[in-house]
Amino acid sequence: MVTSVNETPAVSTSPPTVRSRRLRRVVSTVTAGGLLSTYLSIIVILPVVATIATGVGASPDTTSGSWWPGDWVWHSNFSAFVDAIGAPAAWHAIWLSVWLSLLAASVNTVMGALIAWVLVRDRFRGQKFIESFVDIPFALPTIVAGVVFIYLYGPASPVHVNLFEAWTGLFVALLFVSLPFSVRTIQPVLVAMDRDVEHAARTLGASPWRVTRSVIIPSLVSPALAGFGLAFARCVGEFGSISLIGGGIARTTTASTYIYNLTQGFLWQGAAAVSTILLLISVTVLTGATWFAASFHDRRAL
Amino acid sequence: MPIQLSNLSKNYGQGAVVADVNLEIPSGELTALLGPSGSGKTTVLKMIGGIEKPTTGRIVIEGRDVTDVDARYRDIGYCFQAYAPFRHMSVAKNVGFGLSVRGTAKKEIRQRVGELLELVRLSDKANRYPAQLSGGERQRMALARALAIEPQVLLLDEPFGALDAVVRSELRSWLKELHQRLHVTTILVTHDQEEAMDLAETLVVMHQGRIEQVGRPLEVYDQPVNSFVQSFLGPTTLFDGVTIRPHDLVVSPSGPDVVTNIDDLGFEIRIAVTRASGEQTWVQLSRPEFLDTKIASGDAVSVSRR
Ligand SMILES: Nc1ncnc2c1ncn2[C@@H]1O[C@H](COP(=O)(O)OP(=O)(O)OP(=O)(O)O)[C@@H](O)[C@H]1O
Ligand SMILES: [Mg+2]
Repeated sequence: MVTSVNETPAVSTSPPTVRSRRLRRVVSTVTAGGLLSTYLSIIVILPVVATIATGVGASPDTTSGSWWPGDWVWHSNFSAFVDAIGAPAAWHAIWLSVWLSLLAASVNTVMGALIAWVLVRDRFRGQKFIESFVDIPFALPTIVAGVVFIYLYGPASPVHVNLFEAWTGLFVALLFVSLPFSVRTIQPVLVAMDRDVEHAARTLGASPWRVTRSVIIPSLVSPALAGFGLAFARCVGEFGSISLIGGGIARTTTASTYIYNLTQGFLWQGAAAVSTILLLISVTVLTGATWFAASFHDRRAL
Repeated sequence: MPIQLSNLSKNYGQGAVVADVNLEIPSGELTALLGPSGSGKTTVLKMIGGIEKPTTGRIVIEGRDVTDVDARYRDIGYCFQAYAPFRHMSVAKNVGFGLSVRGTAKKEIRQRVGELLELVRLSDKANRYPAQLSGGERQRMALARALAIEPQVLLLDEPFGALDAVVRSELRSWLKELHQRLHVTTILVTHDQEEAMDLAETLVVMHQGRIEQVGRPLEVYDQPVNSFVQSFLGPTTLFDGVTIRPHDLVVSPSGPDVVTNIDDLGFEIRIAVTRASGEQTWVQLSRPEFLDTKIASGDAVSVSRR
């Protein structure tokens, strides 16, 4: 589209103008792309690569004096990587993280959708107040959340609910930290939704439940999936609150806590190895959710 | 089915958006609700369709008071101003939605949808999604979807509002033909007087939530009850202090009046004249008429009634 618009004047203008315009376009594309990829590289890709490199025990021999990593002689310690991720405790921790995160993200996707619904469709006193509550998990350092949970749901619980050192404690903490994601991804879609689409379904004879099932829920699938992916990734990465409420025992050691424990013993490669696996899982779920949401969305978006 | 609106009002908190509307809509006819933007046309339609509750008043369809009946039990086909397609459903699923809600057998739905798509000339687009349709096609899909439930009443809210002039007039004549074939009681909302004059058997002119005039289109055009209706239905000008239609005036060469400007719009020519009395008026001529008079800007002419 952009090409055709830009090239239309080519018929009427003299060649140098066209060439300089084309050049400018190429330059601007290259600069924009270059800036973006440089920024992304420094902020995201570099640490990711470094994590994986550390995980597989990659160590460069730079005696050749070249600045280019491709010229270096690389040694790796792959067996240590295998050992690190093959340890039963590591697997236990990773598995615990994954299923707890899946569970918390699922529950929050449903609850988040309901909260978003109430915030958008209902009008009641104190709505604005409740609305601002939703973002508190974003604002509160999770270590603080951990302290609060230990007080609230710990051995000295004022409500007599002791979740200390239990998976339920971890679960409640994960529910807390991942709540905002699905609310905040679904809410704008609900706000932008054309109410006449629901009205149309009603005039065609649909019951309220049928309207929900056939009209409202399908249009929330993509934001819900996006929210699910983000919430899952957030849960897998959570450390502060669950390291506290888990109590430091083996049974409740999640992947992030396990990694922390390794670093306390200066086992850097092991820590990076488990991190690599964690990273892999998160990226898979995130891209899976995004891809699925996009494939559901593409042709249907107006 | 005849529709009776009695003392219908809608209040959204501040003032009345629809105020005390009394109207009898004849059975099997096409009635046009005509009025400027914000005059309450959509609101009236939504109350008939059961989407908005009237603040006061009753709605009776074929002797049945439906004022408190839920939209889904009213048996009304409603085409919304922005088409309101189900965007995650294919065209065929959209059209068949009303039938599938009613629990019609799959085979019968397929057959009915096939017929309807043929009727609205979308048979080759059955498996597309609304996003892949043009505006005119989306409108026809919405119409087929509303017709699928074999409604006793069809409500069309500016069905051609967002379309370009060519598609508009094409769809207009198609709708006219369709109405003559099906004879469903239809209410069409529009702010385009030409569209209303062309399609409607009964014309209802609305202004600021009230009905100004009801009647046959030509009747309303020729005998407007007030200057609002008169100017809304077509251009007006002053002649001897009286408001009349500029096509009811003629110019002839030589006389006390002076041509100040000529706007040539193709078929239509608008001639601005300053009269001897100082009155500013203008005359609307067709191209052949204009060519016969042979007048030019600055000429001395005389203006008279036909
Ligand atoms: N939900 C609402 N809440 C408050 N005011 C409303 C609401 N819906 C419509 N109105 C007001 O009611 C008036 C009439 O609206 P309506 O949509 O019936 O106009 P309309 O004649 O259909 O106009 P248009 O030709 O622009 O579609 C407008 O002034 C509008 O602002
Ligand atoms: Mg309207």
